[in-house]
Amino acid sequence: MNSPITIRVQKVKKNRIRERLFIFLILVVILLLVSFFADKIVPYAPYAQNLSLSRQPPSAAHWMGTDQYGRDVFSRVIVGAQASVFSTLILVGVISVFGTAAGTLCGYFGGRTDSVVMRVSDVCLAFPGLVFALAIAALLGGGISNAVIALAVISWPKYARVARGQTLALKNSDFIAAARLAGDTSAQMILRHILPNILGPILVTAMLDIGTMMMELAGLSFLGLGAQPPMAEWGNMMSGGRSMLQTYPWLVLSPGVAIFLTVVTFNLLGDTVRDYLDPKNAGSQ
Amino acid sequence: MKKILAILLVLCFALSLLSGCGGDTKKPAADSGKKKTFVFGDTTFNAENEEPNIDPHYAYSGWPCIRYGVGETLMKIADDGTLQPWLAKSVVNVNETTWEIVIKDAVRFSNGKKCDAAAVKACFEHLIKVHERAAGNLKIASMKADGQKLTIVTSEPNPILMNYLSEAYGCIIDMEVGIPKNGCVVGTGPFVATEVVTDNHVKLVKNANYWDGKVKVDEVTVRTISNGDTLAMALQSGEINAAYGMAYASYPLFENDKFKFSSIQTSRCFWGMVNFHKENPGYAIMSDPAVRKAIAMGINKKGFVDVLLKGYGYTATGAFPDSFAFGKGVKTVSYDPAQAKKILQDAGWVDTDGDGIREKNGVKLSIRWLTYPSRQELPLLAESAQATLKDIGIDVQINNTKNHNKVRKDPKAWDIWVSANVNAGLGDPQNFFDTYCLDSSVKNSGGHHSDRLEKLAVQLRGTFDPAERARIAVQMQQELLDDNSYIFCSFLRMSMIMQSKVSGLTAHTCDFYEMTKDLDIN
Repeated sequence: MNSPITIRVQKVKKNRIRERLFIFLILVVILLLVSFFADKIVPYAPYAQNLSLSRQPPSAAHWMGTDQYGRDVFSRVIVGAQASVFSTLILVGVISVFGTAAGTLCGYFGGRTDSVVMRVSDVCLAFPGLVFALAIAALLGGGISNAVIALAVISWPKYARVARGQTLALKNSDFIAAARLAGDTSAQMILRHILPNILGPILVTAMLDIGTMMMELAGLSFLGLGAQPPMAEWGNMMSGGRSMLQTYPWLVLSPGVAIFLTVVTFNLLGDTVRDYLDPKNAGSQ
Repeated sequence: MKKILAILLVLCFALSLLSGCGGDTKKPAADSGKKKTFVFGDTTFNAENEEPNIDPHYAYSGWPCIRYGVGETLMKIADDGTLQPWLAKSVVNVNETTWEIVIKDAVRFSNGKKCDAAAVKACFEHLIKVHERAAGNLKIASMKADGQKLTIVTSEPNPILMNYLSEAYGCIIDMEVGIPKNGCVVGTGPFVATEVVTDNHVKLVKNANYWDGKVKVDEVTVRTISNGDTLAMALQSGEINAAYGMAYASYPLFENDKFKFSSIQTSRCFWGMVNFHKENPGYAIMSDPAVRKAIAMGINKKGFVDVLLKGYGYTATGAFPDSFAFGKGVKTVSYDPAQAKKILQDAGWVDTDGDGIREKNGVKLSIRWLTYPSRQELPLLAESAQATLKDIGIDVQINNTKNHNKVRKDPKAWDIWVSANVNAGLGDPQNFFDTYCLDSSVKNSGGHHSDRLEKLAVQLRGTFDPAERARIAVQMQQELLDDNSYIFCSFLRMSMIMQSKVSGLTAHTCDFYEMTKDLDIN
């Protein structure tokens, strides 16, 4: 039994976690709003070339300077958030839903389907992720949607593994046996009893995965297998400015800093969500 | 304690990162001992440019053969486009189909063997047997070797036979050695190849038997560095002594006392070829003269040259610079977006769905632009044109691929192929038309045909008078320009950048000669 002091410490800890969660959620919401309304808030047309303004350093008029085609880099970074952030969210959404569904079904029903699906996931996990994604993206051809597909193909197994493991642990629980005795069908068991109980770890995995997926998506674009010119996407913008890193560094640093800040924000949010959902920190609830 | 450990770990990590930034102690050996070595970085020596090795009888591999001083040709092309004797002592055009060439007596292959007319004959016999483009250009019917005198008889009048023999494929190599498995052909040049690795490097040593004087550098390594950033950093760090193909954006890094430039205006042209194949899905678009004219009027050539090439070039009107007689007097449309829009509008291309791209009969005005990255200017041109053409309602899908030479052979895979070629490298216009524009051209990948052009080509091939040849070439260019089937954007001011201690590395208009006996490093 916890002493009053321990309970007090847990309460303070929980409050701090809650504060952090609130701050990071606000940051993420701001980021999403900026991405969503990017077209409306950019100071210049992000795709309009003006060669007379080529390679201007950062100034009051152009906060992040201009690129070699005279396009405003700040506007392109803002618009690039749309492609980078939303593509990542779609990707993580797809792989978490598909992976969770596959893992839950495999864990619940077992049998040959379970073996086949798990062996397929073993194959996906046996390759270095980005290398496998590179191969698939190269087969599919360039484009942000193909890059999302390539990463989705290789990234779902981790969710399937988590979901399957959790389902196997829950399957033989007393409350599941009780639900079964009460006459619940398999679908009802999964939807009403298993899924709600495994969502925590899945959510944490997904939150922590956003940063990784964003980096990998930007990596594919940087290598020319993701977003194609002239599309403003952070990885693609870094690739385009790569040759000017020494001479016109703002072309690479601006999208680079955008990636860094976004990934850090999502990672910190993921960590905080994990801490928040951790039963060890739930003493005060 | 944990915090201290964490800080120490972070410090170690930071130091290990910084250690990677330290100067490389393995500098080219020019600084060490008496042996002079020279390391050259080249973006274009690769399979992408059909230069997988230095065998002059294979595709465009004659370029590295002649550039790196392994092979030499009978005549040399001077910077004003005229021919000067090189391995040949004299050339006499006996009649329209017969040429008598006397080889210099002193010429030796790098293995010490004398280079006589029989050796040259054996070399040309192998060339025309295995090299389709050379066979088509040279039209050699028979050859006779007598001591140092080689007599060539062509199947039809070939006024520019000697120009063609000055092309890189005309490098004289010892056919008794043949084409060795390691690719190290034996030429007459100041350097001898000892190792060739495709897309990686060529190692050369000086030719101790060089017939034309003493070679100053002992060893040369040419590294294929297709990435412009890597090339710039390699030159900055001293890993290489000189570079060819540097991105213009990197030029400011070398505009200081530690480096120097050798630059020259060339006839290397950035130009586009339209796909006219009927099986091409884009045929309905590209066969419309209004669309082609609008494309020609929608590309901002001046902006490309002044800003993206940073002034290292000049805008093109026709296929050849106007410094040549055959480049003067041609006319074409200029950059005029407003007029381009009107032309498209009048031709029925209208934006009906408000997405900024025009349509006609349900076909969206979208073109596939095929280009390649090893010429660093080409992707810049593509993206610049993509923006300016979008302004007039044409969508451009760029396919920037190393694989362009395979893709261009698929008539359904592209609508306009944009490349960079030295159009007047031989000092004569015929090679360009023969290679790219005629029914018989091996690189007429767009299937272009013009009855008038074919007639003019026949006329050009039979004309020996340079002034008359220039007049015909101007007409031929005008035919291409009136039709907008070929769009010429700009010519390149070519530069090689080298450390200030390098001398004797000079850029030439034909872009052939780089490493000579005069190359030196101190």
